[in-house]
Amino acid sequence: MATPGREIDWAGETGQVSRLRGVAFELACLAAVGVALVSVLVLLLYVATDALRPFSADPGWHLVFFLTLVVPTLGTAVYFYRLEEPAGEVAYATTGLPVVGILFAAALAVVLDIELVTALELFALLVATLVAAGIVVVHGRYRPGAALERLGVVVAAPVVTVFGVPPVEVIRALNGVLSLIGLPAVSGARLPSLRELILLSPVAPLEWILVIVSVTIPVAGALGLFVARRRENRRDGLAFVGGAVAATLLAPVAGPLLGIGSTGWVLAVTFCLLPPAVYVEGVVRRNEGVHGLAFPLVLVGGILLGAVLVRQFGFAPPDSWLDWQFLTSAHSRTPEDAGFYPPIVGSIMLLIVVAASAFPVGVGAAIYLEEYAPASGLSGKFVELVEINIGNLAGVPSVVYGLLGLALFIRAINMPSGAVIVGGLAVGLLILPIVIISAQEALRAVPDSHREAAYGMGATRWQVTRSVVLPQAIPGILTGTILAVGRAIGETAPLLMIGAAASVRLAPNSFSDQLPAMPRQIFAWSSNLEPEIRHGVLAAGVVTLLVVLLIMNGTAILIRNKYQREL
Amino acid sequence: MANENLNTTASTESQSTSTEDPTSEPLVEQSISVDSERSHTTANADTVIESRNLDVYYGETQALQGIDLAIPENQVTAMIGPSGCGKSTFLRCINRMNDLIDICRVEGELTFNGKNVYDDDVDPIALRRRIGMVFQHPNPFPKSIYDNVAYGLSVQNMDVDVDAVVEESLKKAALWDEVKDQLDKSALNLSGGQQQRLCIARAIAVDPEVILMDEPASALDPIATSKIEDLIEELAEEYTVVIVTHNMQQAARISDTTAVFLTGGELVEFDDTNKIFENPDSQRVEDYITGKFG
Amino acid sequence: MSTDTITSRPAGLAARERIYKYVLFACACASILVTLGIVGLLARDAITFFTAVNPIAFLTGTEFNLSRGEFGVLPLLTGTLLVTIISAAVALPIGVAAAVYLSEYASDRMRSVLKPALEILAGIPTVVYGIFALVYVTPFLRVFGLPLNTFNVLSASLMVGIMIIPMVSSLSEDAMSAVPDSLREAAYGVGATKYEVSTGVVIPAAVSGIFSSFILALSRAIGETMIVAVAMGSRSRLFDFSEPLANLWRGNQPMTAAMVQINGADSVSGVGFQSMFAIGLTLFVITFLMNLASNRIAARYREEYN
Repeated sequence: MATPGREIDWAGETGQVSRLRGVAFELACLAAVGVALVSVLVLLLYVATDALRPFSADPGWHLVFFLTLVVPTLGTAVYFYRLEEPAGEVAYATTGLPVVGILFAAALAVVLDIELVTALELFALLVATLVAAGIVVVHGRYRPGAALERLGVVVAAPVVTVFGVPPVEVIRALNGVLSLIGLPAVSGARLPSLRELILLSPVAPLEWILVIVSVTIPVAGALGLFVARRRENRRDGLAFVGGAVAATLLAPVAGPLLGIGSTGWVLAVTFCLLPPAVYVEGVVRRNEGVHGLAFPLVLVGGILLGAVLVRQFGFAPPDSWLDWQFLTSAHSRTPEDAGFYPPIVGSIMLLIVVAASAFPVGVGAAIYLEEYAPASGLSGKFVELVEINIGNLAGVPSVVYGLLGLALFIRAINMPSGAVIVGGLAVGLLILPIVIISAQEALRAVPDSHREAAYGMGATRWQVTRSVVLPQAIPGILTGTILAVGRAIGETAPLLMIGAAASVRLAPNSFSDQLPAMPRQIFAWSSNLEPEIRHGVLAAGVVTLLVVLLIMNGTAILIRNKYQREL
Repeated sequence: MANENLNTTASTESQSTSTEDPTSEPLVEQSISVDSERSHTTANADTVIESRNLDVYYGETQALQGIDLAIPENQVTAMIGPSGCGKSTFLRCINRMNDLIDICRVEGELTFNGKNVYDDDVDPIALRRRIGMVFQHPNPFPKSIYDNVAYGLSVQNMDVDVDAVVEESLKKAALWDEVKDQLDKSALNLSGGQQQRLCIARAIAVDPEVILMDEPASALDPIATSKIEDLIEELAEEYTVVIVTHNMQQAARISDTTAVFLTGGELVEFDDTNKIFENPDSQRVEDYITGKFG
Repeated sequence: MSTDTITSRPAGLAARERIYKYVLFACACASILVTLGIVGLLARDAITFFTAVNPIAFLTGTEFNLSRGEFGVLPLLTGTLLVTIISAAVALPIGVAAAVYLSEYASDRMRSVLKPALEILAGIPTVVYGIFALVYVTPFLRVFGLPLNTFNVLSASLMVGIMIIPMVSSLSEDAMSAVPDSLREAAYGVGATKYEVSTGVVIPAAVSGIFSSFILALSRAIGETMIVAVAMGSRSRLFDFSEPLANLWRGNQPMTAAMVQINGADSVSGVGFQSMFAIGLTLFVITFLMNLASNRIAARYREEYN
């Protein structure tokens, strides 16, 4: 039986020793997390300091912005974090949405600026697509039962309105194959598409009007539909669209006044004003975390007030490497003139190719594996093999995908070395397994009971997938795709392998042009020993790349959080 | 057929069991009364669904053994039995929902209007359009109430007045008065019982001949359950209803015919509900009904 | 009621279904084509390479030098091995400790901050880690008196290690979270402390998952290209056993960086160019097998607890 001395055992010395060991272990584990995070954070601070050179500013400049910007925003942020979490989320979203909008607007402005797509082409494409969609809808209304026929219409209508009969792309591909096997190219009469006919029109409205019609109205229309559904009032939706168009019509006055041009104003309103407006309306109506709306006001007010005061007192701002000139000019031998514009454009175009190539195939593969694939028998074995293979491909080094791109696209089918399209396809192959795996996870999260209900109604597999599974899985699929595309923007090794040039002076304006890309340019600068490059231009490039990635990942996380809350 | 003794109870048996085996699961404490008005004889009705020597396997395990039964038209047929006895499996064989499970294999014959549904020329999609289904847990889609009811019409491309069919189906499902002002609202805002009635409305909107119900009230509270039970009796005027249930009183209250499955996927007795609950042929069925658990 | 209502479907529906099914199936097959493409296309050039260079000489040669036509893969292999070992020494203990903290000690609130933060680490492009190593870490380490060259193995390997920490920690944490709470409760029930539960119950129960995360992280380190291409220079060196530590101060060239160098070289012979594919194929086979092993092990632990 226990002696009094023993009784102390569980509360006394040994207990203290083991508790000490436990605390030490917990602290060691916490330190491990800390080491990983803090070391990278310190490095990020270093590179940001190099890029922005905050110490080159007057101390007064720092003091002013510390008082007008840092203290109020930090104060509100801490208040939200400690006391009002929903407001914190509203603050995060209302600040983040315009930033994402700016990114979108800037991307589209660049696309229009380099004339990758002109406003007229955008307009023609929109009209042609609308006509095609109209044909499909009308056909569905008059012949609801003819499913196969509708599939035919779905394929044929866009061909006629958008691509022409036969499509130019098909002729070009055919001629490519013919020239490869040594036959003369074919050419002949073709029926031009509606899109091409619009492009032939001799007179065209001003660019900003075309952008209103072909960008603002579709975006505002989609948002207006959302508003109408949420408020259960069609008039509110129409009023929203009307207001949006009215705001964009200020373009000829407001654009030049702000120095962003009429088109810039239209794009800014469309992407930076409309989505936050819808979000704010929802917040106000739900009356949930309304205080969070103060955060962007504090932020913007702080910046403006700070700017005014700094000018008033004549404090010098920091002489950053990362400035407007850096973002808008091409690489130069003199560090002061070196810029990042062509790589930014190249990365945007790369992103378009990557998303366009990996998203449809990846989502299609995920749908097959989750919704269609048999689990048993010989074909079940094959599916299992495909799944294992996808898991393994996700871990294959990116440099190997670069080699695949080199061997396949450049050496086997003679695409131009270092072109945007080649880089995009190689990186697209790289993220394909990641897109598939994340889309599979999103599809798997849709409850089986919904599938059963639909099957029980006599829905076919495709109907179940399209009308029940996909609508619920789309946010998850989008999150995974954005994260994957974010990874694609930072990939460098595949671009080296497909021969992307170190520095490209001119921004590409077609997909077969030489590809400049942000990480590729950073790699090129890294081998330069000049301190102005190494601790200046290089750092500015790194910070630009990281900011773009941060915004993309932030968007993905925002979508994921909203989606998880709804489930 | 013995349906003269309409209000005979099973109280004697239940008393005897409660002393003998207090741990047995479905302990029938109160008397099971058979609803007199709803009772018909099976002989008067046409057979809609008939199974002959039906065996079902999941991989190596046999889930159903040589099932023979005939389900009469425009009546409520109940399937009862302990968990894992294969009653749900049988239900899912009727509209070939088991096709969705790869390892499931069906042998024997199961006819719908005289046609074997496992013939090669039968299309399971088309079959399910004739035989609707309601599930254990209410499973409305995360769409509006209106879109839920109209879902079957759209997947089947039915050329009908959608508004009228939605209204009629919701009325038949005794839900119209509760939701007519909020058809555009999400179906997920409804209560569990309302959701289940919505699922019934969704199933009858496409005008099937047979409605299969897999324990439709097991996830609901007593009031919602009684509403669903009333609804099932009304539906039997127009549709053939096959219902799987755990609840023996429910089977006794609403069904005309009852099939008792026991462990191992065996159909032990299939007869008029009155007969099953008052005077079953098999001792095992009697033991099960009285709570001795065959 | 006639039976044809259940034997025929509305016109074209079945055909449309079949078309969609085939299109989706083709998408799923794309992944197989990628694998076959990698193997086939890389093998084609690799075979040409091996007809010109004796495979034995390739595998046992102690010098890799393009301009002199020396294609010994050993120095590249030891370079890769060196990076992998150092980065593993950094990442595996830190990653597992971080996983223990996240899975056993962190409050929900803490976890909701730390996990996304680690995710962001994983999202930083590797070329940026390379810049960190070259521009900031090497000068920092020199402060401590380490005789580092501008391009050196140590700082690059440290950055590779930090880069793979999130992978180790998140996969290990998944494995630890999959350990059923009943096991933990059983241990607490006999008076174990949190420390004893973590080290004596959770880690042993999750060991196969942790191990699988190790393999995957090592395969990542082996295949890492940009950090080593930026910060480790372009001279291949066989491991020098006379002065083991000196290997860390000097630059070196692993397989991946060699591929980048060959591809970027101004004038390279046909055989030299093809050697890139031989190295690439070797790399692919190594990492593919490691991933296969890792996924196998991971699948086994998932089966155990599901």
